[in-house]
Amino acid sequence: MKTRKLYTIIAFMATVIASCTKSGNETTNVVTPTVPASNPITPGNISGFVKGTLTTGSTYTITGDLTVKKGDTLASQQGVTVVVTGDAQINIQGVLLLVGTSASPISFNSDSKQPGSWGGFQCDSAQAVTIKWAHIDNTGGPDPTGSPRKTVYVNAPISVDIEDSWFTNGQDDLIRLSNGAKISVLRNTILCSGSTDGEAINLKTGVTGDVAYNVIYSQAGTGVKLETNDLVPIPQTNVNVYNNDMVSCGWRRGQAEPGRGVSLGVNARGNIYNNIMVNDYEGLEVFVDADTANTKYGNNLFYASQDTYQDTTGGGNLTISIRGNFYPSDGVGKPQLTDLISTAVGNMDPMFKSFDGKVATPNGASTSNDYHLLTGSPAIGKGNANYNADIGAYTSDGKGNQH
Amino acid sequence: MIKYPLLVFFALVTTRSFCQISEIKGKVESHLKKEKLVGAFVLCTGNGHTLNTITDQDGEFKFRNIPMGSYDISIEYVGFAPYQIHVDLADNKKVEIKIQLEEKGKDLAKVQVYGKLNQEDETGAIQKEKHAPNIVNIISAEAIEKSPDINAANVLKRMSGLTIQTNGGADEAYPIIRGLDPRYNNTLINGIKITSPDDKTRYVPLNIVPSDLLGSIEVSKTLTPEMEGDAIGGTVNMVMKDAPSQETFKVLGSLGYSAIFFQRKFMTFSKSDIQQQSLTERYGSNYVAQPDDFSRSNLDFKQVQPGPNSVATIAYGNRYFKQKLGFMVAESFQNQFYGSNSIFNQAAPDIHANGAPTISDYANRQFSTQQLNNGITVHLDYAFNDRNKISLTNILLYTGIAQARLIIDTSILGGNGGRTVPGTGPVSTDYTSVTSKQLLENVKLDGKHIVSNHFMFDWIGVYSYAAKRVPDYADLSLNKKIDTVHTNGDIHGPYTFITTPNYFDDITRIWQHNQDVDVSGMANFSYRTALGGRKSMELKVGGLYRHKDRYNLQDQYDLKPTTDASGIKQQFTDIYSSQWIVYNTGGTEAYDINNYHAYEDIAAGYGEAKFSSTILDAVGGVRVENTDQGFKLNNFNATGINGIDKKYTDVLPSVDLKFKLNAITNLRATYYAAIARPNYYDLVPATSLSATSATITQGNPYLLHTTSNNYDIRYELYPRTDEQLFAGVFYKKLHNPIEFAYISGTTYMPVNTPEATDYGIELAFTRYFGKYFGITGNYTYLNSNTTSIKSYYNLAANYVNTDTLEKRPLQGQTDHTLNVSFLYRNARKHLFAELAFQYIGRSIGLVYPIYGYDYYQQPQANLAFSAEKGLNNRHWTVFTKWNNLLNTSNKNEINNILVSSEVTGLNFSFGIRYEN
Repeated sequence: MKTRKLYTIIAFMATVIASCTKSGNETTNVVTPTVPASNPITPGNISGFVKGTLTTGSTYTITGDLTVKKGDTLASQQGVTVVVTGDAQINIQGVLLLVGTSASPISFNSDSKQPGSWGGFQCDSAQAVTIKWAHIDNTGGPDPTGSPRKTVYVNAPISVDIEDSWFTNGQDDLIRLSNGAKISVLRNTILCSGSTDGEAINLKTGVTGDVAYNVIYSQAGTGVKLETNDLVPIPQTNVNVYNNDMVSCGWRRGQAEPGRGVSLGVNARGNIYNNIMVNDYEGLEVFVDADTANTKYGNNLFYASQDTYQDTTGGGNLTISIRGNFYPSDGVGKPQLTDLISTAVGNMDPMFKSFDGKVATPNGASTSNDYHLLTGSPAIGKGNANYNADIGAYTSDGKGNQH
Repeated sequence: MIKYPLLVFFALVTTRSFCQISEIKGKVESHLKKEKLVGAFVLCTGNGHTLNTITDQDGEFKFRNIPMGSYDISIEYVGFAPYQIHVDLADNKKVEIKIQLEEKGKDLAKVQVYGKLNQEDETGAIQKEKHAPNIVNIISAEAIEKSPDINAANVLKRMSGLTIQTNGGADEAYPIIRGLDPRYNNTLINGIKITSPDDKTRYVPLNIVPSDLLGSIEVSKTLTPEMEGDAIGGTVNMVMKDAPSQETFKVLGSLGYSAIFFQRKFMTFSKSDIQQQSLTERYGSNYVAQPDDFSRSNLDFKQVQPGPNSVATIAYGNRYFKQKLGFMVAESFQNQFYGSNSIFNQAAPDIHANGAPTISDYANRQFSTQQLNNGITVHLDYAFNDRNKISLTNILLYTGIAQARLIIDTSILGGNGGRTVPGTGPVSTDYTSVTSKQLLENVKLDGKHIVSNHFMFDWIGVYSYAAKRVPDYADLSLNKKIDTVHTNGDIHGPYTFITTPNYFDDITRIWQHNQDVDVSGMANFSYRTALGGRKSMELKVGGLYRHKDRYNLQDQYDLKPTTDASGIKQQFTDIYSSQWIVYNTGGTEAYDINNYHAYEDIAAGYGEAKFSSTILDAVGGVRVENTDQGFKLNNFNATGINGIDKKYTDVLPSVDLKFKLNAITNLRATYYAAIARPNYYDLVPATSLSATSATITQGNPYLLHTTSNNYDIRYELYPRTDEQLFAGVFYKKLHNPIEFAYISGTTYMPVNTPEATDYGIELAFTRYFGKYFGITGNYTYLNSNTTSIKSYYNLAANYVNTDTLEKRPLQGQTDHTLNVSFLYRNARKHLFAELAFQYIGRSIGLVYPIYGYDYYQQPQANLAFSAEKGLNNRHWTVFTKWNNLLNTSNKNEINNILVSSEVTGLNFSFGIRYEN
């Protein structure tokens, strides 16, 4: 069976993650595989049905929608540059395998480099999706009904590995995984996405796996949202969300639909630990319709770099208390003893290496914050050790975000 | 060729006359039963005059003020042999004749001139039901005119075995015949299939056909081989007004009001800035849309007091050139304002109750609709002689609809968090303005030729056109959030509500149009002969070819609010101060999955034999229909299917037996096979995401057409020409019925369930008591069974099976339906009144994806009233029509939870009618 073979390949890849781990005196050196250049795709313009490998160092221009048929694979070696024109999208019915390296990442961007100028990866019925060390920028252009597209959309019970990649300036949901996908979303950086709506990582309908060590900055809606479909109560969405940084999220949708750092709703369950939430419209929200009995959370750090935010949209002047929304009043989530909850500016400051302190910023804005923790950060050593001894995406054991 | 009947009694009575000019008066009755014959055609020629008339309610006719001389009187009535008599009329004399027509039986032996039966009056309709070869229910123009109904949909819902399916807001209406959804039935005008102005289905909305244009409506519940086979439930044939046999002139006008607008105002918007064509149509596909390209005034809603509902009809018909040329024109104009207030609550599984449905959203809806119907029919026929006749009919129906919708929706579960206490939660407010124009035209040219005494040939050519244009469907959505704040710091203490400002969420603009053109040709050839001993036989062969071509085009734009410097979306104050960007500046025309061409070619042929004797009429034979059906997406779709071509051939046998137990009783037994073709858009695999729940609707290219076997028995009693009693049972078995189902719990798509059965009992009656009172009505019991694919959940055991089969009735099938009308008629005072009661039982409104539950439309009782009074000179009649006297609401429940309730309110009108 072809599918099983593919899963085996992916499982193998997952075990050879590009990092070194230390445990006592034992050193493990993990070697990143090089994607073999079988069926190399000739550099230049590509469109229509494709299969094969984008070869290292080459530049490709996508001139029209690209489709990878069931059973076919589109692979990319490191250091490939792809320029997308004409709002095209990449449809994956087979296997997507993008494997860049830290030194030589892959890049997908549009020719205009404007937010929302190409369609992203529509992997609704894909067989497997792997994205590692890739820059995927300015996605989210309009779909056949005029609505913004998700950047990576999976709607099938397959393995999805999205690791060590950068995503900027998407328009709607950035990563939308649903329908039983088994996911590892690790060590990614997601910046300034969602125009006036969209979550950074939106998990629905029976998704299981881990979301960890990601940095999410200035998302229009929620950083990580867990839901089970309202008409399909099982399989439940059940995800571990740990050691992520969600900073300045949830403002662009406005007060009527504030975004959260993390939210759980409609029969979803999860373990929410060791996350840092700074300047989010609302922090951690557990809705009354979530599977509250089986949801666990704690060791999360909540901070506001200013007491209030003056929302002046539409000529109004509304004072939003950021600290008052760490656990929003319309949810059933309650502060935990293990949480680090700021009570004033300066108290429980996670001490990012650099942070401009901005609250609401536009879609597509530039940012240069560095979320490594300075020595003395209260997040260090206060994590739930089942996940990590530290809180936040950058941990002292080096397992965290590599960017 | 006129034969003198064998048995004729006539009396010539000369009476003293008081006037200067003479008169011929007569009474026509049936020979066997001595029953008056109402609506018989009487032609009087001679002395340079040609006059004609129709017998009245008492079977009598009269030619007054004619000069003395020699006249030939001929009388025709369907089901009876024609009759001719010569009358010599002296000056200042009255001649009175009594005529008995002989019941036909052996007369099929030879081809006759075309019988003339006035089906537009009620006794004509009953005669036609009695003499039809198949099982048919007919309602006449006379009954329609006197009823409370103003369009074909209103009329049909009172017919035996029929209910009407409406989409919310009381707009489009389609017939459900014997519990079978519109997809299993077909709709004809003057016996010809008509194209649909709908963008996705093949149905014709019946509410666009003004009742004043109708000559009658016939619902055939069994098929003969010469009828088209795609009618498992039955065929609705709307017969338009035909050329009369004498000069007819009619004008009517009425004014009315929808009482719902006494309680609330009518929501309206300006149509002046609506662009009829989309930007890509106007400026080409490379145009980059700008924010100012989108008008604002059609999203500026105003509350007004609407004007009255008005109806005006004018009809004129006559015959010229010695009766050879017939002409009829009728024009009907209706301008209606109606509205609905409803609650619409969506259900979702409650995880705390093992998935039992609970309300997930609470929505209030207010629709305000103005509908303008304008219909014109023109009919011309020319009889070259007794044996050759051609006719040309053109029907044009225009409907313009302007609808404003306001939906306020509070989510209770899901989304970005539900409510905590009643009155809180995220609230979205949705304003929509829609205008649509539908045009339906049907041009039919047909001829009938009696080739010899035994052979007859007829042919029909039809051009049928339907189009719909929805320019600038505009939808504005706003959202806000309502929370509680505790007033004294105690979290268990008193609280008050706080609400955020309304935010401008987005605007959708859609331009859509579709067109459907059919060209059809039909030819039939028949041979009739006597078999001796009052028996006769007819052999008939014929064929049909139809080519259909339709397209749908859609271009959609998404407008998003501009944001402030921090990227936050703006508050909404009014549409004129809202600022937006065009998110997809090129529109969706170049890649929209709703842009498609569909076609359907049908070639059919049949052989039919008809046997007739005094005790039995039998019609049977076989029809073969070959279908080529498919679609092609206009734009290349890399991820899916780009087109489908389907071919299938069906062999459809049928037999209709009618045992004439005696002159007033028929017993019918019938078998026929029929099919239902998938709707055009059912096959298109486009997906559309639901805005309100995490579901998608998707077409199914692998859908098979439905086949069925149908069995009927009906007992018919005709005690008098204006009375009847029908009692029937039927049984249907459908293979591959097409039903919508949720696949994997979330994909709503049409699928073939293995089979369905449908059976029922029908009773219908009309009875008059004494001179003044009558009662007419029908009762139907239906029972059907099919299977749904459902998801079964056992949350405690964490067990799910998404392919569980559940038995249920067909969607739309009611259990008990009762119609009873009480009639008062006083011929002398020209007074008529009708009180119509209707009870419609429970039916599945919508299938729910989870095992054990479905949405059920709740039983309804309706009451309507109409009355008319003829004024002294008999030309003028005043009338009134009252609908929905009980202010009935249309309710849906699931698991005993009320999920929707819609009220449309009382509707009434007063009018006046002139007839020559």
